[in-house]
Amino acid sequence: MNQAEVLLPTDQPDLADDGAVTVQTEKYLLFLSDELLFGVPAESVAEIITGHAITKLPLVPGYIRGIINLRGQIIPIVDIRRLLNHGDCQSDCMMILRSDDTQVGILVDQVQKMVDIDVSTLLPIPPQSSNDLVCGMCSLEDGQTMLAFDCARLMDHS
Amino acid sequence: MSAGSDSILDAFLYETNTLLEQLDSIVLAAEQQDSFSEDDINTIFRIMHTIKGSSAMMEYNSLMTIAHRAEDLFAIIRDKTMDVVPEELRPELFDLLFQTIDFFRQELEHIENEQPLTEDIDTLLQKVNRLIDQIHSGGQAQPAPAQGGAASAPAAQASSTTATRDGFPYVLQVFFDEGCGMENLRAYMLVSSVKDLCAESDFTYEPQGVDSDPATADQIVESGFLLFFRNQADRDAAIHAVTASGSVRSYQAIDQPAPEPRPAPEPAPAPAAKQAAPAAPAPAPESAPAKAPAQNAPDKKPAPQKAEATHHHKESLISVNLDKLDHLAAVVGEIVITESMVTASPELKGLKLDAFTKSARQLRKLTDELQDVSMSLRMVPVSGTFQKMNRIVRDMCKKLGKQARLVLEGEDTEVDKTIVDSIGDPIMHIVRNSMDHGIEETAQQRIDAGKDPVGEIVLSARHTGSEVIIEIKDDGQGVNYDAVLNKAIRNGLAQPDVEYSHKDILNFLMAPGFSTNTEVTEYSGRGVGMDVVKKNVEEVGGTVIITSEPGQGMTTTLKIPLTMAIMDGMEVSVGGSIFTIPIHNIRQSFKISDSDLVRDAAGGEMFKCMGSFYPVIRMKDLYQMDSGVTRIEDGILIWVDAGEHSYCLFVDELLGEQQVVVKPLPSYLNRFNIKASGISGCTILGDGNISIILDVSNLCTYAQ
Repeated sequence: MNQAEVLLPTDQPDLADDGAVTVQTEKYLLFLSDELLFGVPAESVAEIITGHAITKLPLVPGYIRGIINLRGQIIPIVDIRRLLNHGDCQSDCMMILRSDDTQVGILVDQVQKMVDIDVSTLLPIPPQSSNDLVCGMCSLEDGQTMLAFDCARLMDHS
Repeated sequence: MSAGSDSILDAFLYETNTLLEQLDSIVLAAEQQDSFSEDDINTIFRIMHTIKGSSAMMEYNSLMTIAHRAEDLFAIIRDKTMDVVPEELRPELFDLLFQTIDFFRQELEHIENEQPLTEDIDTLLQKVNRLIDQIHSGGQAQPAPAQGGAASAPAAQASSTTATRDGFPYVLQVFFDEGCGMENLRAYMLVSSVKDLCAESDFTYEPQGVDSDPATADQIVESGFLLFFRNQADRDAAIHAVTASGSVRSYQAIDQPAPEPRPAPEPAPAPAAKQAAPAAPAPAPESAPAKAPAQNAPDKKPAPQKAEATHHHKESLISVNLDKLDHLAAVVGEIVITESMVTASPELKGLKLDAFTKSARQLRKLTDELQDVSMSLRMVPVSGTFQKMNRIVRDMCKKLGKQARLVLEGEDTEVDKTIVDSIGDPIMHIVRNSMDHGIEETAQQRIDAGKDPVGEIVLSARHTGSEVIIEIKDDGQGVNYDAVLNKAIRNGLAQPDVEYSHKDILNFLMAPGFSTNTEVTEYSGRGVGMDVVKKNVEEVGGTVIITSEPGQGMTTTLKIPLTMAIMDGMEVSVGGSIFTIPIHNIRQSFKISDSDLVRDAAGGEMFKCMGSFYPVIRMKDLYQMDSGVTRIEDGILIWVDAGEHSYCLFVDELLGEQQVVVKPLPSYLNRFNIKASGISGCTILGDGNISIILDVSNLCTYAQ
């Protein structure tokens, strides 16, 4: 899946010219995992793939489903459902996330769509529901609530 | 435009660096002999000449000037053999050459980093000039020395006013494009390319000095650039070179009836004039003139041959950008996978396609070959890195007044290019440490200890399955454990009241900020040595192990995983997973029945083979796999060993032997300590599936 068009600059200069308040937006990709709607910054998504055979690795925690061969690159696959104790993920849809030079794939139920999120509407999560992989939440135009997926946390999750 | 000049610059840097490396090794070898062989002198002369020419092209004047003088120096030595340099001047000559090499290296570094070149080259230049003078004055004592290289140019010019040349009847007159500029350098380039075609003694050119004297440009514009050849065949070959080079407006071949060689300006015998090359008109009126041609003839002959040999050798090597190789490897990987996707397509099932199957098999064979080739491209021998250490040992011997030699083993061990690059600095640090701290201060100390007065440092490389092992071993005094421990305590690295094992103490050596030498020396002892080594090696996923025997020396071992190494492996399956066992670890495999197994008190299984009992490790149980064979009759037992471990692995099935590329597991997984559980990496099989490579010795440790 080509993400090039997604990475186009997001600020709209004409708004600034009109003297209106500049709205800082960021593109997020929405996906479903166990009925929860997550959003992940589009720039950290490298690729969305389906149908890759996962090679199991022995003696790793259950949420590490294994490794895949993505055009010669070996990429570890994390089942975030298992990581969040939400059961097993049945789908074979993987989202390859990258940060710096590490790439990690996550298993998701369904990839939905791209949305523009006004950065200022992104709220911190309430402390009592401190969830491991969520770094914020925000309400979307259609009334749904998006949980911002914490890529960095996933990358150095132990 | 900038891309074009960049690539010229790249080529210049690459070529000059290669030449300097060659020069370095020649001078090192020559220093051992305390003399240069004929071949060496010719090669050095040629190298200096090439550096001079290419520096002039790139307009690096300081480089050109130094190379020019060094070339002059060797022109003298070449013409009058090594005997012209008196014994006492030789160390100076070698030192000077090393200084020159270092100067070139430093300048190249400046060029690479786009820093300005060193303008002040007078010191080095003076040294070269002084040496030339000294050689000259040393030579004065001998009967009638020729005027040397400097004299050759005027002499040649004097005889060339007639625009003909004795003994060179075949002339080629070349005119360059009008207004193309730098005619003299263009002519010089032409001369260089003609040199590749025929021996230097078989042609000459007019005007002389095109490489250094810009004024010759006008003369070339006026009357053309003249090349004189001894043989017609050479000239015909040269015409091709002339047409191939740019900016040539026209050329004309002029034949002259071969005149009898006129007596040379100097009263030399006729045969000598014919044999001596025009560049070296030094047939001095020696007391025994008959000897001169006899000496010259064999001297001249090997040179052109050698030139041709090295020339061809060079042609077979090209340098390629690493990115391109990475890209190639990735594309080839995809081709292999796509190939199996096509040929094993489910849509073909049940169809009888004889021709298709045949072609598919052919394709398979070719893609396999392609994969092998592309894998081997990134592998380079470690010899380059190793050779550089010769120089370090030599320099430090001089500086520290110690005697030591470097022995290289397994230089042709091939490792991935990135690893070669990353081990250079660590090896250098360790060799320096060995020279500085390891080898005893004086030869007497070594003799008293019953050792060879000349210290020895052995640098060796070898492959073991998934790792390259680089060992740096010296036969010096070894580590003084008490001194190291005291130092560690002083530095706060160790607790005074704790008992440390020797191994612990050696580990202090690699702690940051540790240096046992109280004096800071130029080479080591800044306390940043070993911890930097450790850090660098760990960066490429390797480990450093130090062992030492007091009085016997110290051994530093670098174990570095082969990121792209190719390995022969045995594919086995357990449950649904495929594992690769390095083939060199496998001793034998058995099909056995339950009654062959012996059980010990703790319930462990053992198998008796060749008179010994070996523990049996069931892969399925060890790795807690969901499925797999449990009945011993259904699976297969593989007897493996690695170092001190020898045991049997029980797996479901042997799938066959295969060459595999070792890939490291993603660093993301390092936190699960996957290496300790006996997995060293993984590999991509021909069908795109992943196989996990087992580390036989770690697997055994884990099982215990």
